[in-house]
Amino acid sequence: MILEPLRLGPLTLRNRVLRSSVGGRWDNYDGSGTEVRINWDVKFARAGVGAIISSNSPVHSRGAILPGYALIDSDERIPFWRELGRRVHEHGCPYILQINHAGRERVLPGLTYPKGLSSTDDPEPLNGFPCEAMTVEQIQEVVAMFAAGARRAREAGLDAVEVAGANGMMQTQFLSSAINDREDEYGGSLENRARFGLEVVRAMREAVGPDFCLGYKISIEERLDELLPWHKRGNTVEESIQMCRWLEEAGVDYLHVSAGAGFPHPRNPAGSFPAAEMVKTYDTLLSSGRHTLRNYVTFRTWPLNRGFAWWWQRVGKRLGIEGINLASSRAVKQAVSVPVLCTGGFQTASVISGAIERGDCDGVTIARPFVANPDLVRHFEAGRDRAPRPCTYCNKCLFNFVENPLGCYEEARYDSREEMLAEILSVYEPAAA
Amino acid sequence: MSELLFEPLEFRNLTVKNRILRSNVSGRFDHYDGTGTQARINWELRFARGGVGAIVSSWCGVHRRGFIVPGYASIESDERIPFWRELGRRVHEHDCPFILQLAFGGRQRDVNGVEFAKGWSSTDEPDPLHGFECERMTKAQIEEVTESFAEGARRAKEAGLDGVEIHGANGYVFTQFLSSAINDRDDEYGGSLENRARFLLETVRAIRARVGDEFHLQVKLSTTEYGNALLPWAPKGNTIEDSVQVARWVEEAGADAIHVSSGNTFPHPDNPAGAFSAADVVATYDVLLSSGRHTFRNYLLFRTWPFSRIVEHRAGRSLKRVEGANLGDAAAVKAAVSIPVLCTGGFQRASTIADALRRGDCDAVTIARALIATPDLVEHYRAGRDEPPRPCSYCNKCLYAVLESPLGCYDERRYPSREAMLEEILSVFRDDPAAAA
Repeated sequence: MILEPLRLGPLTLRNRVLRSSVGGRWDNYDGSGTEVRINWDVKFARAGVGAIISSNSPVHSRGAILPGYALIDSDERIPFWRELGRRVHEHGCPYILQINHAGRERVLPGLTYPKGLSSTDDPEPLNGFPCEAMTVEQIQEVVAMFAAGARRAREAGLDAVEVAGANGMMQTQFLSSAINDREDEYGGSLENRARFGLEVVRAMREAVGPDFCLGYKISIEERLDELLPWHKRGNTVEESIQMCRWLEEAGVDYLHVSAGAGFPHPRNPAGSFPAAEMVKTYDTLLSSGRHTLRNYVTFRTWPLNRGFAWWWQRVGKRLGIEGINLASSRAVKQAVSVPVLCTGGFQTASVISGAIERGDCDGVTIARPFVANPDLVRHFEAGRDRAPRPCTYCNKCLFNFVENPLGCYEEARYDSREEMLAEILSVYEPAAA
Repeated sequence: MSELLFEPLEFRNLTVKNRILRSNVSGRFDHYDGTGTQARINWELRFARGGVGAIVSSWCGVHRRGFIVPGYASIESDERIPFWRELGRRVHEHDCPFILQLAFGGRQRDVNGVEFAKGWSSTDEPDPLHGFECERMTKAQIEEVTESFAEGARRAKEAGLDGVEIHGANGYVFTQFLSSAINDRDDEYGGSLENRARFLLETVRAIRARVGDEFHLQVKLSTTEYGNALLPWAPKGNTIEDSVQVARWVEEAGADAIHVSSGNTFPHPDNPAGAFSAADVVATYDVLLSSGRHTFRNYLLFRTWPFSRIVEHRAGRSLKRVEGANLGDAAAVKAAVSIPVLCTGGFQRASTIADALRRGDCDAVTIARALIATPDLVEHYRAGRDEPPRPCSYCNKCLYAVLESPLGCYDERRYPSREAMLEEILSVFRDDPAAAA
């Protein structure tokens, strides 16, 4: 089942196991792409994944979570993406460009824009980086940026475009009742909060035409209170499902289910909370924003750091890490007729095929277990239920990427630390044919 | 007056067209593993086009264990040669020699990265700023590093570059051996000045043996260490008298020039001398808060009033004392050796440089910050100006931004607008914007 093709509107994938959006800071500070990103994506294409969803590519430099990600903010970027697409296609792998605007959600704001844009003036809760509520004119500009980004993806010969509407990105900042505090036509009722995301989809559809695959990633469970207990919970599942119905009407070809109205979030990436890694690499937590002292004390001081790690991990323990979003996905699937992809810790063939057979989703997207085992699909093809050295959900990959190359940092999975480092750094070597 | 500046300078193996060299200054333009990128070529071309006599490369690691921060192109293996050859070729198009600075950080690192938990040093005392762990090098490790310097020099020669500089200054591994304030060994590499200089001199000889007599080799030294500049109770370290002796030995061992700097750490209040803003520093040098032993101390020192004011007071330098601060040392070295002496430290005015040359304090100057601000500084001198219209203010934002942001001039007052500043800084990523020039 999991190795059967999957149709997403006009696009057919070779199997149902997709590489989810995940990428390191491979590129130049100004958002121009490098060969390293090509090496990174080709690694998964070669290993037989059904399709690759790119790491988030900002439609404007102000919407970058941090510098070092290739942008899709101007036509000058098209040749890079065309080359990347060409190299991935050599391995028969479709390439879906995920485009985003991070809004207030930033890890390292960079030089150019001291303030992020958002639905609100309230800073994001983790660093407390300042942001400003967008005017309607600014909103329309961002809608147009998404349309232009989608057009560029098509012009670059890529196979689809996906809106990064989940995980606290700009679309979440509008949709979420926990974040959006506007009083105009973009805030208040669910219909108003949904307006920005739907306008983005309609504008993108108009830009790419009816025969180009367009997807949308959405956090069904927002649960900001699971990250910081004093925070509002956010949208109900019913509200998120209504948004999915509207997205289908607006013309998406598939929906991609995730969780959390912010990133990181105990549901995404669910698993361990590597505080020791986090404070070394997310060091803007200590140096920038409003909450440096709180963060210093919380993440570096016993027993608060242990307490936070416990608080984080209990969510994954309660819900189960692998397939943590399947209940959400099932609810979406029952409400819409477009295909539904689900992300969240998948790495066991029987779990994935069970989910597809039950109709919880039509395909799965995987980030961390693919970082650990890029050739996971080959294991499934060989009839194995799991890779011999599975991902442990230690989350060190996602907490290292700010300062170090993305890769699997779980030493227990390697014969030695040297082997681990060689594997991580191999991304810089030219990809073998 | 400016004629002196434009007299060619003849080293034993290299002739430079004028007396103003770009000093080593690094941005994190490259990949994590030390492979070079086009951005670094673009960066160096700015200065070659701007007419400097020669370029001393950025900090270039000879051995992975000695990297100070990921993102600096290295010379650790033969695979790196094609990159440096291409860089050299492009720089040579502008009649500008390129001297590769060979370096090993030891215990002094800016971002310790994932690869090695412990740096290699003369001592197992962590560096005073971050408190990064380090270990005392064994004799075998010293030999391994010496060999990697020799190999780095060979690769530079094979890449068609014009010379190498051993980075023996500013707190990196050779300072850690030379310094009486740091080196606590009791073997043949510690104790007397002769012993403390042994590693450096062995490296000079090893390079000379590897590249032959015809290849330019210079050595950068912190001739006065000012070890107590920040903490009054800290030991001062080597004095100019010690360093003059080291310079003599370096000449005997086969070096073609001495490059004079100061300070036994980097950063150090006297290098880069000038303004110091604790808030700016810590926003980008945030490893101070996140890594090493001293994170909480550093949080208090850099982020908390009144400690931050005290740090700023101790670390800042009056602008009157910045330009040519090392000239006294340079003159002392020059009096003791017969090879040319280069001097770094805040140079920006043609008259200051010309006076130094006329007095014979040094044979040429090397410049980093003032050239970051004004890459075509030499052309201003040629046009008869004493300093450029918008000089470097020694605000030092360039050097503190570097860990997180692209290297460039971050003094907003020097630009018509913040947008113009960012445009200028980010232009380094555009492939060869003025290739026609």
